[in-house]
Amino acid sequence: MNLKNITAEKLVSLYSNRGFTVTEVVTSTYQEIERIDKDIRAFITLCPLRALEEARRMDEQMASGEQVGPLAGVPVAIKDNIAIRDIQTTCGSRILEGYVPPYTATAVERLRRAGAIVIGKTNLDEFAMGSSTENSAFFVTRNPHDLDRVPGGSSGGSAASVASGTSVLALGSDTGGSVRTPASFCGVVGVKPTYGRVSRYGLVAFASSLDQIGTLSKSVRESAQMLEVICGFDHFDSTSADHAVDEFVKNLDRPIKGVRIGVPKEYFIGGIDPEVKSKIESGIHLYEGLGCDIQEISLPHTEYAIAAYYVIATAEASSNLARYDGVRYGIRKAGNSALQEMYRETRHSGFGKEVQRRILLGTYALSAGYYDAYYLKALKVRTLILRDFQQAFERVDIILTPTSPTVAFKIGEKTADPLSMYLSDLCTITCNLAGLPGISVPCGRNSQGLPIGLQLMANHFQESLMLRVAHQFEKAGGFSL
Amino acid sequence: MKISEADVEYVAKLAMLQVADDEKRELAEQLSRIVEYVEQLNKLDVSRIEPTAQVVTSVKHAIRDDRVAARTGSSDAGRTVKLFKVPKVITDR
Repeated sequence: MNLKNITAEKLVSLYSNRGFTVTEVVTSTYQEIERIDKDIRAFITLCPLRALEEARRMDEQMASGEQVGPLAGVPVAIKDNIAIRDIQTTCGSRILEGYVPPYTATAVERLRRAGAIVIGKTNLDEFAMGSSTENSAFFVTRNPHDLDRVPGGSSGGSAASVASGTSVLALGSDTGGSVRTPASFCGVVGVKPTYGRVSRYGLVAFASSLDQIGTLSKSVRESAQMLEVICGFDHFDSTSADHAVDEFVKNLDRPIKGVRIGVPKEYFIGGIDPEVKSKIESGIHLYEGLGCDIQEISLPHTEYAIAAYYVIATAEASSNLARYDGVRYGIRKAGNSALQEMYRETRHSGFGKEVQRRILLGTYALSAGYYDAYYLKALKVRTLILRDFQQAFERVDIILTPTSPTVAFKIGEKTADPLSMYLSDLCTITCNLAGLPGISVPCGRNSQGLPIGLQLMANHFQESLMLRVAHQFEKAGGFSL
Repeated sequence: MKISEADVEYVAKLAMLQVADDEKRELAEQLSRIVEYVEQLNKLDVSRIEPTAQVVTSVKHAIRDDRVAARTGSSDAGRTVKLFKVPKVITDR
């Protein structure tokens, strides 16, 4: 069975009408993976024994009329930087070879409690560092819409799996756009919640002040359902937000007439593909037709966001990745030589090129003599970017932009020049710097049939409004503009 | 600012990374381009701006009561082993 045209609610209702058993669906999901994933390569690890055992138990529960969770029997894919007990976590890196976590991430635990069935772990750019999933140490994941193109990154495996129908829902992580960009490139919905909304417990740290777990699905409703399950305070994460979780699903159909939508002019200049621009403009017209109040706004410090981001993210990464030293996790090289030599050789052979480049850059930005000039300055610019948004949200409720200035690019097109890859994150990284929630929804396709993504951002903890505005776009036909 | 091969070597040492000789030049060039791009931040006067290290949301006090909570650690924690083989930590350098 291909799950491409089946949403989570549909599947749950099929189960309750006894249309299918969970075991049948899970079994056929693995058959579909066998059939198509050799070309797409969304998965690093599959866990069929465990999934089928969970499916069997779920079928028993359903047969005996027991109450089951809102995601009962729904196949989910998990990005391979999110820990699940007893299943290897690779982060797309050689350095974690053989690492099997002894605990499960809170977000996964909550999905399971809601009845979801984990199918496998998906490919990513090594340690989530990249925008194309080409930086995985294992293999490149391909875009289901065009196998010569990237699926976006870093949660490329999760997005490609949902888009190709080898899972219904997926978890990704978003540090600078890593859920929203692949959602945009693969034509699915991707949500990055407010910083702290979803526990980071069990998410392997890349840049701790920016990282957030997010969702991928075909419809806004499914993401809303998933977020209701995974959001909320968790005492295992010291930055977890103690903020009430609204009824995201229930609120989806409330009218959006009069909602003020700001369109920042800085997101439409230079480098934006004309076809992307034109579809986003059609999206804006659609909202006008729905009675929203469209306003041009300015976020004047946008042009500095990439520079600030790549200092802050790499500085935090250089510190977070110091733990991979051959002692605690994964591989160890030159085990008989002196300690420092062992550290260096392990790290040299275990980390890929992009990760080493970012560690070097971050270490440079934090080193004596450069800390003030780079790191501290970037943190101050972050304040200016946050202020831009605070001022904008006094006038508008939602901010609308493209998710990416382009459609999915060709495999290999940007790998030779790291800076050009960084620049592709232009539209998504401000959201992380400011800790805001953001969503990418499909907004039609270009003349070659490649998906285009429209991004909505809201103020802190305004996911409910953001999801509602996105859902109404979907309902009004926005996904196929 | 241009990053030299010597800078790469120095930073690699701080970061506990090894950089092969034939990679140094390429890395110096790539990092120079990125750092030059980052230097556009110098156009902004931020002398009176406070830094934001973390966008604090509604974080609960991170310190909990000193009570025994459910454990989540490795089941190997209590395992009895006689010896661990570790790399040499004392060298003459």
